[in-house]
Amino acid sequence: MNGAAVDTAGASVPAVPLRTRARRRADWRRRRLVLLLMSPWIVGFSVFFAYPLVMSAYLSFNHYDLLSPPRWVGWANYHYLFNVDPLVWEAVRNTVVWMVLIAVPCQVLFAFGAALLVARAKSGAGVFRTIFYLPALAPPVAATLGFVYILNPATGPVNTALSHLGITGPLWFNSPQWAKPSLILLSLWGIGNTMVIFLAAVLDVPQHLYESAELDGAGPLQRLRYVTLPTVSPVILFAVVLGVIQGLQYFTQAFVAASIASGQASQAGDTFSGLGYPNHSTLFYPVLLYQHGFTDFQMGYASAMAMLLLVVSFAVTLVIVLNSRKWVHQAVPR
Amino acid sequence: MRKRSALAAMLIAALVLAAAAAASGVHSTGPTKLTIWVGWSAGHELTSFQKLIDEYNRTHTNVSVKVVGGIDDNKIVAAIRSGTAPDVVSSFNSYNVGNYCGSGGWIDLSSLMKKDSIPSSLFPKATWYYTGYAGKHCALPLLADVYGLYYNKKLFKAAGITSPPKTMSELAADAKKLTVRDKSGKIKIAGFDPSIGFYENTPERWIQAYGGKWIDSKGHSLIGKDPAWAKWAKWQKSLVDWFGYSNLVRYQAQPIDEFTPSQAFETGKLAMNFDGEWRVAFIHNEHPSLDYGTAPMPVDDAHPELYGSGYINGTIIGIPRGVKHLTESWALVKYLTTNNHFLAQFSNMIRNVPTTKASLDSKEITPDSHFKTFLTIFANPKSGTSPIMASGQAYTNSVQDFFQQWQAGKVKDLNGGLKKLASQLDAQVAQAGGGGGVP
Amino acid sequence: MTSAAATTPFVRRRLPAHVRRKRFLLAVAQHSVLIAVALAFLAPFVFIVLTSLMTTNQALSSDLWPHPFRLQNFADVFSKAPLARWTFNTFVYSCLATIGVVVSSVPVAYALARMRWRGRDAAFIVVLIALMLPPQVSVVPLYVMWAKLHLIGTLWPLIIPNWFGDAFTIFLLRQFFLTIPEEYLDAARVDGCGELRILFTVVTRLAKPAIAAVALFSFLYTFNDFFLPLLYVGENSHNWVLSLGLAQFRSAHQVQWNLTMAATVLVMSPVIILFFLAQRAFVEGVTLTGVKG
Repeated sequence: MNGAAVDTAGASVPAVPLRTRARRRADWRRRRLVLLLMSPWIVGFSVFFAYPLVMSAYLSFNHYDLLSPPRWVGWANYHYLFNVDPLVWEAVRNTVVWMVLIAVPCQVLFAFGAALLVARAKSGAGVFRTIFYLPALAPPVAATLGFVYILNPATGPVNTALSHLGITGPLWFNSPQWAKPSLILLSLWGIGNTMVIFLAAVLDVPQHLYESAELDGAGPLQRLRYVTLPTVSPVILFAVVLGVIQGLQYFTQAFVAASIASGQASQAGDTFSGLGYPNHSTLFYPVLLYQHGFTDFQMGYASAMAMLLLVVSFAVTLVIVLNSRKWVHQAVPR
Repeated sequence: MRKRSALAAMLIAALVLAAAAAASGVHSTGPTKLTIWVGWSAGHELTSFQKLIDEYNRTHTNVSVKVVGGIDDNKIVAAIRSGTAPDVVSSFNSYNVGNYCGSGGWIDLSSLMKKDSIPSSLFPKATWYYTGYAGKHCALPLLADVYGLYYNKKLFKAAGITSPPKTMSELAADAKKLTVRDKSGKIKIAGFDPSIGFYENTPERWIQAYGGKWIDSKGHSLIGKDPAWAKWAKWQKSLVDWFGYSNLVRYQAQPIDEFTPSQAFETGKLAMNFDGEWRVAFIHNEHPSLDYGTAPMPVDDAHPELYGSGYINGTIIGIPRGVKHLTESWALVKYLTTNNHFLAQFSNMIRNVPTTKASLDSKEITPDSHFKTFLTIFANPKSGTSPIMASGQAYTNSVQDFFQQWQAGKVKDLNGGLKKLASQLDAQVAQAGGGGGVP
Repeated sequence: MTSAAATTPFVRRRLPAHVRRKRFLLAVAQHSVLIAVALAFLAPFVFIVLTSLMTTNQALSSDLWPHPFRLQNFADVFSKAPLARWTFNTFVYSCLATIGVVVSSVPVAYALARMRWRGRDAAFIVVLIALMLPPQVSVVPLYVMWAKLHLIGTLWPLIIPNWFGDAFTIFLLRQFFLTIPEEYLDAARVDGCGELRILFTVVTRLAKPAIAAVALFSFLYTFNDFFLPLLYVGENSHNWVLSLGLAQFRSAHQVQWNLTMAATVLVMSPVIILFFLAQRAFVEGVTLTGVKG
């Protein structure tokens, strides 16, 4: 509660506020209210964020299968993680290089390009927007199933269509080289959310900026570069950060695609679920973590992996946010 | 407005809680209710088991057993961890016995066996091996699996082959003769598919044919030292390369799923197949007119004395920790693993190998020339199984991973790769905190 | 283009022909690309729906058009899998979680946006940090905790955390609350409203579009959730949600792609129907996240 300082008698006093009893009581009431309002989050944060972090750190120094008590092993898990596990670095590469460094720019560029095209379309812009947005609504499992079917190397529609054109289609989800591009293709199909955000931002660019640029002799490409992009840059940053966060957590589509594509040769009762099929090309870090912790009886080791993931997530997001000042144009208040 | 929505929320929550309470069931008196989790899910297998359990329920009126199928190890582990495990569990393979016994997730049955005078000599040696670990015996065998060669007699006749191959070189030669490709080079009929990961092709089942050793007396991996592994790997890759790795992948991507009537061998798309003894029952139920034969797996040319042996593993059954009705659960387990009448009947229905010495010779087993091959393989003294290791399923998975990389051409130095694999396996076992017993 | 004096008619100067042609070609090119991409976006839906209408054998072949049409597939899906049960479970999870998210996040966002207290900005940064955390980091200890409470296999580990605030929702709502002009709140204060009443009456009414948007997102997110249900409910098929059931559907019905695609269509439809009913809320909501984010 701001306002000029007024004492209990109502007379105006100099700017230094008097900590009268009434004022202290008001402050105390306010703090109690804040505590009340913040309480759900305080409890939630402690129980579902802080506690697991601390516990993860603790478990990472133990061998723990949840069937018997934790057994202290010191740095053994980390030693195994960095020096021995043959799959960890592949998983890190898959996640960081493919789902972050490659997928995010692809997604942002594609969404932005689509947004530009739709913004340009005068007739039926609403229809196009709907068409682009619908796939983003499809549940990831359903979308993945659909794509695995469509991209089936032997009988899928895509390879059938390609064979009519005389091209032998690739093996898509069954090929180590094509599995990740197939997943990225799947993620591009679901770009609707980002596209709609970009569309709104692009349409929000003040028309007079374009007009003055045109007057200065700027062509369409230059207008894009010097007017559209800077104005839209905060939204691009938002999309990039979101994309990176999602890329680091990428699990569902890889899990489902690997089980389905490999599932053609395994039984419901088999334990080898084919994660990472084919040949670890779809083995992403969260998938490997799940496998170690929940299939391989190694929750301590999975906690060590989780600690590494935490560090990497922080580092990556920090890098992006700190660098954002260089290329994000601070929005002019309207 | 807010009050109303808050009220609505509370009502919904109350309704859900009530539903949950109702769903958890009311405790009633009467026969003790037991739940058994099994891996069977495909067609005749689950219904056969259910039929026999119905009979058990009829003859044992003090219990009422419910069967839940389609279970895998992940579900078992999750249930034990959360204290919601059923009364009896069973798994399709023995790979995780090390973890189950070591952690006490499945209880040690030794004292129960001693009390009921059930000696270990009741069970064939291999099945006794893969149901225990580190002195604890937390599982018992419930029908075993044995692997051999299935071959399509009609396709053999058409290609002029008179008898099934006995050595690896014969197998490769026959496979090439039997393969039919279409004009674009795609495989229409595969003589044999050597890909690791296809159907039942896994390293542990194959290495039996080369007499390969897994571990030494201390439990350290011999994969880098025993030449049998490299020899098999080279044979396998040369055959894969003859087909063309991507051709095989394309072939496998067809809808020829293993436990459906479209399975490649049953539909004549695969001339020879490396499969388990249960396939006999599947063919009988789904494609009875198929003209086929069974034989032991071909073996290393340098070891003809191994011919007639095969890889053994099987379904295991145990009691999870925290079981509420130990007496009734143990009675059920005892029945399912030692009652020779039950074992013979179940074996007839799903054509798995019975797992007591008595039931193997039982007159109740209906003779079947195809199935007899597998009984002979099972009885062969050179047949063996893979070691039970502390790292459980991860051990066999790592080996399979390596050979899948190898067949795709990702491993340039085979011997170096095998040595590295051996040290990784050892590190894995050390990390899991323990050793393993030589089978 | 400056105009002459008001009396002279405005003459539109025609652009040179080559510029007009270039612009026309550009427009055609842009529209063709747009149409092509739109068709590519629709194609997967078309294939999925077509396959869901095929017979089993035809779905395994390379045919593209069902012949005959088999609507029976949709009924078959219900008989082959407990789809109704899964749908019920999914709705229980999504509805309870969404209500929880909204109820618990609104007060927090309000405190972070419109009340001044020491440590407020630090708390907000902590919220942001929680936003960036992949769930896999905290999943092992949380799983252990729920296992010890014997709640694994039920939907509670999924629902309960949502009643304690959700970082993304708090973030969005806080951004929105910041835009509410102080005058509204001051007017209410002058009328003698306590802070809590202001929150419940004035602020929530003003923020209805934002609250609708976060409710929608929460619902969508929990409806589509796969990882957490896989972890917590995976072992108890009685409590499966739709995403789990659909993923496992294929392993149980391996060859029947037509049924799997029919199940996929069924799982996709609630959300798509919801979209068409509430289109404006969707688009506004998405825009809100982008603009305020």
